[in-house]
Amino acid sequence: MKKMLLAALTLIVGLTVLAGYFFRAELSPVLTLIIDWGILLLGVAGLIGLGYLVRMHLARLFRREKGGFYSLIALLGFVFSLAFGLVYSPHHPFFRDLILNVQVPVEASLLAILAVSLLYASLRLIRTRGWTLLSVGFLFGAVLSLILNLAFFREEGNPLLAEMIAFLRGIPMAGGRGILLGMALGGLIVGLRVLFSINRPYGEG
Amino acid sequence: MNWYYVGWGVIGITAVLLIIFTVKFKRKGGYIVRHYPAVEGLRNATTTALERGLSNDVVLGDAFWSYSYPGLGLHSLSVLPHLLTQEAYASGGLSVSGADGSLVLFAQQIVHQQYADGFSAALAALTLGPALHGPTPSSFTAGVLPQIRLRSVGALALFGNYGAEGLLWAEAVASRGGHVFAGAGALTAQAALFSTVDDLLMGEEIFILPGVLSKTVEDQAGWLVEDVVRAGMMLLLVIGAMLKVLGVL
Repeated sequence: MKKMLLAALTLIVGLTVLAGYFFRAELSPVLTLIIDWGILLLGVAGLIGLGYLVRMHLARLFRREKGGFYSLIALLGFVFSLAFGLVYSPHHPFFRDLILNVQVPVEASLLAILAVSLLYASLRLIRTRGWTLLSVGFLFGAVLSLILNLAFFREEGNPLLAEMIAFLRGIPMAGGRGILLGMALGGLIVGLRVLFSINRPYGEG
Repeated sequence: MNWYYVGWGVIGITAVLLIIFTVKFKRKGGYIVRHYPAVEGLRNATTTALERGLSNDVVLGDAFWSYSYPGLGLHSLSVLPHLLTQEAYASGGLSVSGADGSLVLFAQQIVHQQYADGFSAALAALTLGPALHGPTPSSFTAGVLPQIRLRSVGALALFGNYGAEGLLWAEAVASRGGHVFAGAGALTAQAALFSTVDDLLMGEEIFILPGVLSKTVEDQAGWLVEDVVRAGMMLLLVIGAMLKVLGVL
């Protein structure tokens, strides 16, 4: 009975939201209400999820696990940010400076590590995947795209070269669109299966 | 042309075909089950990790919902039940994590539902609940990398919506001899992981995963519909391109 109720609720809400995209004017009030509820629920779910983060670090701290010191720092940072944000709001200049001068540089350094890892992984590509058409094509495409986007070639005054470069620059876009179309199709089928309760990630089946 | 009608048409045709084929396959028949070496790799790696007493890590991605990839978060949750086997529970080495509070909460619900659907509640004590190592992609990476270093991860499976940072997680496991499987939906993740991960599903391939892990007629109906609609869309694209060249569109 509970599962039937859940399936019916999913179907009604899902179809209403879907119909709302096409009959926006007619369904606008209902759609706004449902989307507001959804945002609220997701917000609450996110907040509860943060509880898992706190619980995990507290457990690590109390069990005196290895790396517990880092958990202490994470918890202190969390409590400080939460308290400061609640009392002074995230728009406070100090809070903004804190984000700009701590979080952004830390994230940038992580991106720098990622850039190095990407370069290293690219160098190992042939070793990992072998001399296949796909791996050679991938490497060639990546290098070509890099060279073209470095603006190394000056196409002014040479319409043929300009057209060729525009064509080559368009190829990744076409590939990307192809992948996104496939993804959209896959996503559509997953969505419809959940909507019709053929799949129930929230329960059995 | 009103593109809303085209959208309605695609969704409507897909929905009708899905219902028809699901009903048809439930009565009789089925569709070809494709062989994906990457999924075999995941199965073997998971079993090997269990046998060697190593941890099996599952990452559900960075976001439950995003504008660019709206279906990926939901997809990672739909894969999760297929990975929650009794052996994985009993070993105590299964770890599920994500970088979004709501994603982790829903994963927790799925884990509890598995117990309710017939698993022994005693297994709950053996299993780590889904973990949120950080609420953003960067903080998650900062949180999960030391965990990978501290625990012996035998197999890492990546699902859902994540970007190029997946490469750092994959490298951390692979450099310690662990096996990495990735279902990469986002374009940046595909590009980053292609060079490192052997067992990689890209783009729409990721959506076949639940069906390959545990085959059902509903999954087969989904594959057939996907193939039919994909062929139809390809045909429409070719016709559209030809009409554009001829100056009709």
